[in-house]
Amino acid sequence: MGAKQENGDPEDILPPLEQELSHDLDMKVKKYLRGEGADLEVLKDKKLKGQLYTRENLYGTSAKTAAKTEKWLLPSAGGYLEAEGIEKTWRIKQDTIGREVDISSAKNQYDIVLPDFGPYTLDFTSSGRYMAAAGRKGHLAVVDMKNMSLIKEIQVRETVRDVVFLHNEMFFAVAQKKYPYIYNRDGVELHCLKEHGAVTRLQFLKNHFLLASINKYGQLRYQDVTMGEMIGNFRTGLGRTDVMQANPFNGVVALGHSGGTVSMWKPTSAVPLVKMLCHPGPITAMAFHPDGHLMATSGKERKIKIWDVRKFEVLQTIRGHAKTLDFSQKGLLAAGTGSFVQIFGDFSGSRNYSRYMGHSIVKGYQIRKVAFRPYEDVLGIGHSMGWSSILIPGSGEPNFDTWLANPFETTKQRREKEIHSLLDKLPPETIMLDPSKIGTVKSGKKKEKPTKKEMEADLETAVEAAKGTAMKKKTKGRNKPSKIAVKKKEIVERAKKPFLDQQMVEEEKVAKKKRKIGEEIALPTALQRFARQKATA
Amino acid sequence: MQSHKMIEKKRKSRDGKKHDRPQKFARKSKFSKKRGKIEDDKRRTGPRLPQSLRIELDRINPNDQSGSEEDEEGINDDVYEYEEGVPEEESKKNRRFDSVENYEYELPKDFKDENVDSDDDDDDFDGGENKIAHHKGKKGHLDQLDDDVEDEDDERHLRMLQGITGMPSQAFQDRKKTKVVSEGYPESEYNPTRDVLDGDGRIAIEDLLESIQGKPGYRELRKITRQVEKKGKVLQAPLPKEDRDRLERSAAYEQSKKDITRWEPLVKRNREAPTIMFDKDTDSGFSTIGAIASEFEPRTEFEKKMSSLVNDDNVMAAHKEDGSRLLELNKISLEDYISSRNHIAKMRSLLFRHEVKMKRVKKIKSKTYHRLLKKDRLKGSVGIPMDAEEAKELAMKQEFKRAEERMTLRHKNQSKWAQRIVKRGIDTQDEGTRAAMAEQLHQHALLTRKMNSMKDSSSSDDSSDEEDSENSDGSDEDKAPKLLAKAREKTRRVLEEDDGVPDSGVLSLPFMKRALKKRKEAADEEGRLAIQEFESSLKELEDTDEAKITKTGTVIEPKNKIRSSSYSSDSEAELEAQEDIDIGLGRTDDMQNNINVNSVSLYVDADIPQDSVLKNSELVKDLGPKMTYEVSILQSNTWKKMSSSRNEVDTNGKRSQKVVEPATHNQDIEFEGVGEDSDADSEGQMLDGILSSEHKSSYKLPSQAELIREAFAGDDVQEEFNKDKEEIMNLENPEPEKPAQLPGWGQWTRVQKKKGLPSWVLEEHENAKRKREEALRKRKDAHLKHVIISEKLDKKAEKLLTGTLPYPFTSKEVFEQSIRMPIGPEFNPATAVRALNRPEVVKKQGLIIKPIRYEDVDSHERGGEERRKSGQKQKIKRSKGRVKAVVAKS
Repeated sequence: MGAKQENGDPEDILPPLEQELSHDLDMKVKKYLRGEGADLEVLKDKKLKGQLYTRENLYGTSAKTAAKTEKWLLPSAGGYLEAEGIEKTWRIKQDTIGREVDISSAKNQYDIVLPDFGPYTLDFTSSGRYMAAAGRKGHLAVVDMKNMSLIKEIQVRETVRDVVFLHNEMFFAVAQKKYPYIYNRDGVELHCLKEHGAVTRLQFLKNHFLLASINKYGQLRYQDVTMGEMIGNFRTGLGRTDVMQANPFNGVVALGHSGGTVSMWKPTSAVPLVKMLCHPGPITAMAFHPDGHLMATSGKERKIKIWDVRKFEVLQTIRGHAKTLDFSQKGLLAAGTGSFVQIFGDFSGSRNYSRYMGHSIVKGYQIRKVAFRPYEDVLGIGHSMGWSSILIPGSGEPNFDTWLANPFETTKQRREKEIHSLLDKLPPETIMLDPSKIGTVKSGKKKEKPTKKEMEADLETAVEAAKGTAMKKKTKGRNKPSKIAVKKKEIVERAKKPFLDQQMVEEEKVAKKKRKIGEEIALPTALQRFARQKATA
Repeated sequence: MQSHKMIEKKRKSRDGKKHDRPQKFARKSKFSKKRGKIEDDKRRTGPRLPQSLRIELDRINPNDQSGSEEDEEGINDDVYEYEEGVPEEESKKNRRFDSVENYEYELPKDFKDENVDSDDDDDDFDGGENKIAHHKGKKGHLDQLDDDVEDEDDERHLRMLQGITGMPSQAFQDRKKTKVVSEGYPESEYNPTRDVLDGDGRIAIEDLLESIQGKPGYRELRKITRQVEKKGKVLQAPLPKEDRDRLERSAAYEQSKKDITRWEPLVKRNREAPTIMFDKDTDSGFSTIGAIASEFEPRTEFEKKMSSLVNDDNVMAAHKEDGSRLLELNKISLEDYISSRNHIAKMRSLLFRHEVKMKRVKKIKSKTYHRLLKKDRLKGSVGIPMDAEEAKELAMKQEFKRAEERMTLRHKNQSKWAQRIVKRGIDTQDEGTRAAMAEQLHQHALLTRKMNSMKDSSSSDDSSDEEDSENSDGSDEDKAPKLLAKAREKTRRVLEEDDGVPDSGVLSLPFMKRALKKRKEAADEEGRLAIQEFESSLKELEDTDEAKITKTGTVIEPKNKIRSSSYSSDSEAELEAQEDIDIGLGRTDDMQNNINVNSVSLYVDADIPQDSVLKNSELVKDLGPKMTYEVSILQSNTWKKMSSSRNEVDTNGKRSQKVVEPATHNQDIEFEGVGEDSDADSEGQMLDGILSSEHKSSYKLPSQAELIREAFAGDDVQEEFNKDKEEIMNLENPEPEKPAQLPGWGQWTRVQKKKGLPSWVLEEHENAKRKREEALRKRKDAHLKHVIISEKLDKKAEKLLTGTLPYPFTSKEVFEQSIRMPIGPEFNPATAVRALNRPEVVKKQGLIIKPIRYEDVDSHERGGEERRKSGQKQKIKRSKGRVKAVVAKS
């Protein structure tokens, strides 16, 4: 209340510049308030009202401080290309940009030519400091991007389909020909995850410490990398796919299938949470916006679609083909196909993506993977002749939070952060479509099947209720205690009956199941000779 | 006139007497009623004289009973007299009979007693002196009587009191004097006194004052009274107590309410505050143990006693002195110290070494080692003297071992190994084997000797020695018959020597003799049987000696069979593999024999069905050389060769595997080729382990399969999806079963057929359908054609939601909005986090929370933050004096 008044009065007096500033601040405060507070006037409980009132005040101050910090204390603001006159941003070439930017940024424009080991796939750590590159023909490399030094390079002499960093740069998982493996930074093989089988794509959920994989047979597996436990193993039943992406907002893993459907999974449910038909043809690539609200898919029918994941509706359809897609931290969308990369941007904030930049590499190079480097305006492109790095102004988050991801992390900090993140590890069941639902009241939907205990409790209450029924007073001869007792017994029996019936039905079901199993085991004697004999030693 | 008056008076007085008498009686009776109970008790408990004695007493002491003619009460009052209990009607115990209290005849109110008047007249008439005397003389008699009775009563009562209290009777005398002459009937509203009836009976102050007229102070008193009268203020009678109390209470309540409402804003402030801070007066004083202990004051008896003892000077002095003396004693010489230190160091190092050793030993995982160690320990412990129980246990163990030895004869060359060695001749064995054999025999000897010594010490040592020698040099085959023969001899001897029956004593009695004889006969029978057994076993032994070789052959037979069967059951492939290996081995010339052996064994298993025992024995012979051959191989230096050949084989195997592998790989690749072509490409390039240096462009035209898949993939995607969605919908909200008629049910007339299904069935179906429709409509994906959202409940995720609203909340929205903001440090600026997460009460450790104190609070303040600020600004007045305990005045 007080805040409103404060804002209300002086605004009239303020000069226009400051007015604008305050408006800006208000917007930010709104962002940090995460929605409106409840209407407290409805409440009858005065105490609660008072408590909530003070709470809301605290939220208000917190949001205000956060907004102010964002406004004044963040060191740098993101830039972007601005076209003048008839200039178009997508006509601006990399060398033009390179001429304009400072040396340290210009360093990020390069091509690494590795012609021998096939198309490369890339993965960055969350801080953007390290990159893992994996050539299809078994070349694995971990590179420090800050000082452009190769940390380790190994040759596994096997097909490598995907590479992904685990929680920090110390470990990375590689999908190889038969199994995925986990290596450490020094190239030492730590684990061979045989259970996963021949994996085509890997994803790591860093808040849950889960390694998700989809194998050649369309089996999705979740493995906890802390304890090594297999959390989930689901048959998708939708065929082989190599399109898999985790939603960074909620940890839901989405798979793109050849039937044009995208299915979203969580590790505690054997059926997909959502299955949506996105394209009439097979899906070739998929990406999620960092805020988790947007999803981009591309199909073989040469269309890129941008979806609102909350409403499951198409926001925009862009013509074009993409073999690989990626969203940057600031929400730019890169689409790579053939030897051409296109970047779409939405600077109006209206979720309307338009062409922003483009870049074509040498003809004949086939792009396999595009990946924006976090906290830098850099796009990494893995292709058949190595990898290249180009500058995309306005793609990366300019300010990093050292608590979240620190590109200048020391060893000690890394260790501490590892421990912290382990302590903050989320259990796998917290993965759900809307994680903000956690802690709220269950929806009124009844459970599918009451448990045995509940059934017993129900039965008991019903019996109690039946016993408690008042008997009518009858005429003299018919009011005998014996008769009343009999009647009461009858009433109780009647109350019990539906429960007992249900129990019987369930028991029968179980018995049937057992019988079925038994039948399978005990074949008729005439057929027993055809039963498969167990090898006798 | 005079005489007439006199006569009249007399008559009247007689009348009065007549009146009087019943009155007296009544009073008496009442009196007796009052005391009845006490006297009853007395009478019942006290000793009583028998009737005859009492009569006697009466005779001697007639005065005792007031010898009046009309005195029955006197008798009644006698201690030793039985008094008839008061009739129930009169006791009024429960007022059953009559509620009338006054049995007297009552004169009407307006009755005028002439006599009184006349009396007065009389008084006036003749000076009243004689009259009084006369009256007295008339009345006095009665009075005297009455007094007598009462006096006696009182005396007794006095005595009783005296007896009880032990005080002199004078103490109670005056009580007696203040005797109240009660009215004839109780004064009450029904019987008002005459004064009240007359209306002028009130006693005024003047009346009272008159009596002190002329005394000092009288005047002042009168003055005061006059003044009071003049002012004429009438004092109201006080209110009833209940009303008074009520008023008092309400007044007190008002007061206390006022007192308490003063606290209201203070309490309200505390209640509304999100956090209550107790950060003032944080100085909690000394907190060391010493400080606390110094404040200790002995309170209880025990503590006081203890403290007096502890602080006693003598004790302190003694302690000091003792301490110094002890210190003196503590002095030790340097050499002693050094030597003791060295000793300790040595012990420590020994201990340490032992510890280290034990650690190492403990780490050793070998079971055999530990077993041996245990054995060693056991052996070692034999020599060490130990306590009785352990010794007993050990003895038991030894005994058990001996018994076992006797049972199994394990160390008596019974084992196969020993037998074989014996058969082959000990002389041919090497040193070690012979030593082992000797050791075994020695063991056996040891055990058996012990047995003998334990069993009968009387048995001659030389015999056992003989046995020993026999055992040690002879094999057990010769020994057994000897033993048996000996046993036979012994039993025979026992049988032969007839121990004479004793001639005297109990055993000489005839029936005892008979019994003994019987027993002896039985024993003889047994002995004979034993001899027979011995003989037969001896014979058998001889037989076995002959048949031994054949027996061993038969023993070995099953083993061979097993081997052969294992060979025969092997699959051909395995055989081939074996042969392969054999061939591999065959390259080294030394192993040629092995193949021979194999072939022999193969040959044997082909033959076995027809082979006789003899052949088997041959085979045994064959096996023997083979074994030796192997041993010789081991002994000679060919082992290396063999191992090298093994290695070769291994490498060969590996190679062969490698040879095989590519084939399987190829198969794999073929399979893969269906799925993904590019995979196959790369593998094809990598097959030989060395990556091809020349680069082929990895992009190439998609394969046929891929093209086909792509071409057909998008065909009926929409349709498929719709079908899928329907399926899932049906699964989650199953369609109700269609109502169907069971054949034969309700169809025995045509009527039913015409009517169709019963209405309730249809209705139910309709209901179910509608329900399903509703459920489908409620689904989140109801209006999204291209989306299926699973409605399945995730049980594991259920636990992250609350089942019910938490207590103070009444609406779901408010609750959910109240938890929308994260309050952790990751989501809030550092300055706000603390306020967001502050606990309800902030208190420093060790702070004592004092009871709330009054302070002035502005009741119109609101909000925690503002309040805190204002609290800092304005000086808080503390009015200790105003704080009062609220006490109700009632």
